[in-house]
Amino acid sequence: MPEPLLSVENLQVSFETRAGVVRAVDGLTFSVGEKEVVGIVGESGSGKSVSMYSMLGLLRETNVTIEGSVKFQGREILGLGDDQMQSIRGKDIAMVFQDPMTALTPVYSVGWQIAEQIRAHGTENKQQAHARAIELLAEVGIPDPARRVNQFPHEFSGGMRQRVVIAMALSCNPKLLIADEPTTALDVTTQAQILELMGKLQDTYGSSIVLITHDMGVISEMADRIVVMYAGRPAEMGSRVDVIRTPQHPYTWGLMGAVPRLESKKSRLVTIPGNAVSPLDVPEGCAFAPRCDHRMDICSTRPAMRGTEHQDACWLDGVQKVTFRSERHSA
Amino acid sequence: MSEVILSATDIVKSFSIKSKKIGKREQVQAVSGVSLDVFRGETLGIVGESGCGKSTLARCLVQLLAATSGSVSFNGTVITGLPRRKLRKHRREMQLIFQDPFASLNPRKRVGDIVAEPLRIHGFGDNEKINARVRELFSLVGLDVNGLQRYPHEFSGGQRQRIGIARALALNPQLVVADEPVSALDVSVQAQVLNLLKDLQEKLALTYIFISHDLGVVRHVSTRVGVMYLGELVELGDADSLYDQPLHPYTEALLSVAPELDDGTQSTRKRIVLSGDVPDPSHKPTGCTFHPRCPYATEKCASEKPAFVAISPSRSVACHYPRA
Repeated sequence: MPEPLLSVENLQVSFETRAGVVRAVDGLTFSVGEKEVVGIVGESGSGKSVSMYSMLGLLRETNVTIEGSVKFQGREILGLGDDQMQSIRGKDIAMVFQDPMTALTPVYSVGWQIAEQIRAHGTENKQQAHARAIELLAEVGIPDPARRVNQFPHEFSGGMRQRVVIAMALSCNPKLLIADEPTTALDVTTQAQILELMGKLQDTYGSSIVLITHDMGVISEMADRIVVMYAGRPAEMGSRVDVIRTPQHPYTWGLMGAVPRLESKKSRLVTIPGNAVSPLDVPEGCAFAPRCDHRMDICSTRPAMRGTEHQDACWLDGVQKVTFRSERHSA
Repeated sequence: MSEVILSATDIVKSFSIKSKKIGKREQVQAVSGVSLDVFRGETLGIVGESGCGKSTLARCLVQLLAATSGSVSFNGTVITGLPRRKLRKHRREMQLIFQDPFASLNPRKRVGDIVAEPLRIHGFGDNEKINARVRELFSLVGLDVNGLQRYPHEFSGGQRQRIGIARALALNPQLVVADEPVSALDVSVQAQVLNLLKDLQEKLALTYIFISHDLGVVRHVSTRVGVMYLGELVELGDADSLYDQPLHPYTEALLSVAPELDDGTQSTRKRIVLSGDVPDPSHKPTGCTFHPRCPYATEKCASEKPAFVAISPSRSVACHYPRA
């Protein structure tokens, strides 16, 4: 197997707060191959965004501790200095944020903002950067780009703004694109446009994508591989077919059962009892145990991720998983 | 079909907004001519994208907003244009659940008082009676009665939404309008609240109007579904048949792109990705408002507005060329 583009090894992110230490990410290990789309799914507070921010050196508060290893193209990037990080961020690794209104500054034209990024990382002069900005806008499907390039973010609709943010992210041909809930703020039909665009651009640019979302539906349509997170820890990881068709972790079962389907019969939704654990007070053993229907004595010890291609952190054995899963399915 | 509990005829709601021309104002029609009946005991789902007027419509139905024109009758009485005092006795029968459980609860009040407030306003009884009712409501929605003295910030999003539900049910309403009640919640909590709403409906014989942008959620809860686009009802029908066989091209497109669990091995769904954005509601297209984005539009669609007609007893659509 060739060396992955990005490999994250035992990432730990914790925040020192007045109320105690919050372990926002606790032992995340995963890798992203060339041209691969990896989806990270989890509910609010599961650590999916924080893990990405910490990797890119975007968490700079003094109360943060980041440990582990993040290798990008074989080079350790955790703990790199600002200057060195600056040359990677935006160039080799670009990011698309959830809210396109806050990701763009309202006081400059969108063309200026795209050109700024091109000039920061390349050798283009002002005119060339401006011309490239127009090309990029055309590429992400903004009609009449030569006119739109001089407009300001408030003159664009939500979907169009997200296209601008994507154009900006692509401006330096990034090898890795991190998209943090890129369609959550958008309507269904606009979401479909943006997802289609991202798929198309991935083909042209050959970037790898890390897609962060809470939406099982979006992830199952986009990702080659899926990482399910709960309370800062990975619960399950595997190829799309494996995770969607034969989920191994009780939390994944709950997550999938809780989504109302379009072709649903009017049955009750399968719920996960209780509320998400407080990040201040994650159980010693399996983080999901207090809400799990299949809790056993051994669950007071933290399970490691087991398996090779399709991994999960659960103490149930293979036979039990198959039985419980099919029970849920028929219920 | 059972009796009609609420009936709306040709509801129009326009707002006056500042025009781009300085000093001028212009009218935006948020809801333009919606007529519908809500039957007792059913859940009517209303689905549409942001800005389509679904929340405005709901507010007009329960008289939280006065419609610009059109009439609403509730239990056979016309309630549009009634003076406030006379409206009050109808108001207790129609309650709302709001989207954001953080914004809809007063942060300075104890949750027990929040739930008791409608009871006090409508003269439910003495303190003892009210307290007993609040306790009853708390257990009805699955909250611990020991939390009565606590403040909203001490509860999680799902629990707060339960408090909002308890408040809405305090006066034993007949009709509950839920405006995006689960949109702010995580999936696992969302499922709990949806199940709770369903249980309460059975237990208390409630009628729901359920507004959401989430097609899966609407399908799950609704008996009938109405689809809105740019202030108009474009399709209305039985949930099952509408989802299986959409008649309006907009409904068809909406359903085809809703993200679904998919392992990539049996994708038979044809995705219809609409081009462009929803037009500016202050400058609506001529004819059928959907025609600039419609893959099947003809010249007729641009000039002539399709009427909202019943195609079968349980299905209505506003389209010159309905699908299927």
